[in-house]
Amino acid sequence: MKWFLHLAAASIAALYLATGPASAELHVTVDQANLQPMPIAIPDFAAPSSADTVAGQNIAKVIRADLDRSGLFRPLDQKAFIEKIANINVAPQFASWRAINAQALVAGQVQSQPDGRLRVDFRLWDVFGESQMIGQQYFTTPDNWRRIAHIIADAIYERITGEKGYFDTRIVFISESGPALARKKRLAVMDQDGANPIFLTRGDYLVLTPRFNPTAQMIAYMSYIGSKPRVYLFDLESGRQEMLGNFPNMTFSPRFSPDGNKVAMSLESGGNSDIYIMDLRTRAISRLTSDPGIDTSPSFSPDGTQIAFESDRGGSQQIYVMNADGSNQHRISFLAGRNGTPVWSPRGDLIAFTNQGAGFRVGVMKTDGTGARLITNGWEDEGPTWAPNGRVIMFGRTAQGGRGSQIWSIDVSGRNERRVPTPGDASDPAWSPLIQ
Amino acid sequence: MSQSLSLTSASLSPTTARSPRVGVVFAVVLHAAVVAATLFSWRHTLEIADQSPPVIPVDLVTVGDKTNISPTVQQIVKPQDVPAPPPAASPPATPAPPPQAEAAPELAPTPQAKPAPPPQPAAKPAPAPAPTPPKPKTDAFADLLNNLTKPAATPRNARVADRTVKGAGAMNAMTMDLVDALKNQIAQCWSPPVGGPNSEQLRPQFHLQLNRDGTVVGMPQLTAQSAAEAVANPYMRAAADAARRAIMTCQPYKLPPDKYDTWRDITSLDFDPSKAVQ
Repeated sequence: MKWFLHLAAASIAALYLATGPASAELHVTVDQANLQPMPIAIPDFAAPSSADTVAGQNIAKVIRADLDRSGLFRPLDQKAFIEKIANINVAPQFASWRAINAQALVAGQVQSQPDGRLRVDFRLWDVFGESQMIGQQYFTTPDNWRRIAHIIADAIYERITGEKGYFDTRIVFISESGPALARKKRLAVMDQDGANPIFLTRGDYLVLTPRFNPTAQMIAYMSYIGSKPRVYLFDLESGRQEMLGNFPNMTFSPRFSPDGNKVAMSLESGGNSDIYIMDLRTRAISRLTSDPGIDTSPSFSPDGTQIAFESDRGGSQQIYVMNADGSNQHRISFLAGRNGTPVWSPRGDLIAFTNQGAGFRVGVMKTDGTGARLITNGWEDEGPTWAPNGRVIMFGRTAQGGRGSQIWSIDVSGRNERRVPTPGDASDPAWSPLIQ
Repeated sequence: MSQSLSLTSASLSPTTARSPRVGVVFAVVLHAAVVAATLFSWRHTLEIADQSPPVIPVDLVTVGDKTNISPTVQQIVKPQDVPAPPPAASPPATPAPPPQAEAAPELAPTPQAKPAPPPQPAAKPAPAPAPTPPKPKTDAFADLLNNLTKPAATPRNARVADRTVKGAGAMNAMTMDLVDALKNQIAQCWSPPVGGPNSEQLRPQFHLQLNRDGTVVGMPQLTAQSAAEAVANPYMRAAADAARRAIMTCQPYKLPPDKYDTWRDITSLDFDPSKAVQ
């Protein structure tokens, strides 16, 4: 999406000290901006050996796609390039890149090593400043080229925007297939750009609400195995899954604590559900809420001291915040309609949520509930999840009539809404942290 | 158990909360109502059709690229076109020294140009031919001026400004223009990083020198304070880079060459994203 924002603003600028025309001091304040994606040139990575040519093309392609999807960059068409980068250790001819209005240039190189590994170098150049912004080198196995591309895209993103990237991440989601009455729901993971989708379960049982742990190696989710809805853990490394605790009644809506040592979840008992925390090392469980309403969807603040959750204790579903020990429970959502599925931003400044008014919309609010605003406008948008830098939100979207569920992403500002490619229908995405 | 299952659907999959049946029933009723209304009003419509006005044939004619039709709109002679008085005022100005030029406007309103000479009899021959033809025109011009002064009176709804800006000298207005011209040009190229934490508070500040052709001398330099902030804070570094790119991308700046002394050195060039990132 190409967006263009021209903001008019009042002029507060001139302060002229008349000490004489020749020695005058001139003070200028620029307070209007022309917000546009940054034009960036990313030629195919050079390959001294022709055997690496395809790898060089593929890596550059993934970097271009990552940066383009962020909405903050506009990768330029390679056909316009005047200079061909053959050796990245020689400074480029900046004038030829200025001529095509590239503000930054990524020059990269791919070389297969004698030991079979792939060596990837790149330099990010400031075209108008004629200086190198970063230069890095990576070694990896050739089949890992896609991750290297994401890592380079993250490095470029971080250097230019000042904040961490989110391209070297994965998404766990529910893949849906089959007719409406016999819908098959499978646990699946994929890269954040939709590549490398893997199904983790066969679809014999209904699965819901998958969540990554902080190392992105473990997934907590709810499954109806044996018609018993319970919370399970799935270890991505070993493929093993285990039921979390052995409770007589339903457990659901799990989420890891920021240190990964605990899981907060809901336990149902006699029509009432409350929020509990389980310590994964000792398996000890402690109860946090005890009112007669339905308390669910717990989500930790990034420092682990607070938990946001939803509750209908006040008559309708709303968002509350409490300390991690269950004290000081207070309502924070006052946006018209019902508000639920709170998710604390990894940055800690905002809480994303689902608002149910005329339809379902995803919104964000400050952690004290002020500044609430809806950022999507679909028929049924729900279940937000944050990119690890707290900048982008993914959510599930169902079209009017309930046909086909998809995953979409949007900038927290409400701009740059894009569909995330998935194998078939998909819902309930959860974003991993940056892969370690 | 049924209770617990209903709890699941309410809390975990709110998507099922919407019932499409109500909408379908409503749509069917509405369609039936529209069809019924059409049937009942059918005859009435036909009667109206019988009384429809006769058809008027219209020929569509293509208009040629060139036409010889003269404009029907008369040119309005603007009052400003009348003033021949400038020539009337200028003749005395040319032969006479500056002080006399000031006296000339005072003389203009008076119908008689002859009283003018007294200050300088020597200049008399020169103005003599001029006063006779422009005489009525000066009157017209004077009338015009008189008329113009009337609407200049303060309108009823005028209000006093919240504050008045006083210039620090004769150069002030010109400097304001320069500042506006420069900041508007830079703003075209400025795309600050938005969406970061407190990004509206990142205000990089530069020293800048410009060549006479509007290009930047070397690279814009961050002030000491901004440079220190950029080292400590990656967001500030990104903001400073974005501002520097704006300065470098939008050059050369179009500024009046005759005022080069004024804009050669820009003491401080500040970037304030507080309004831009909202």
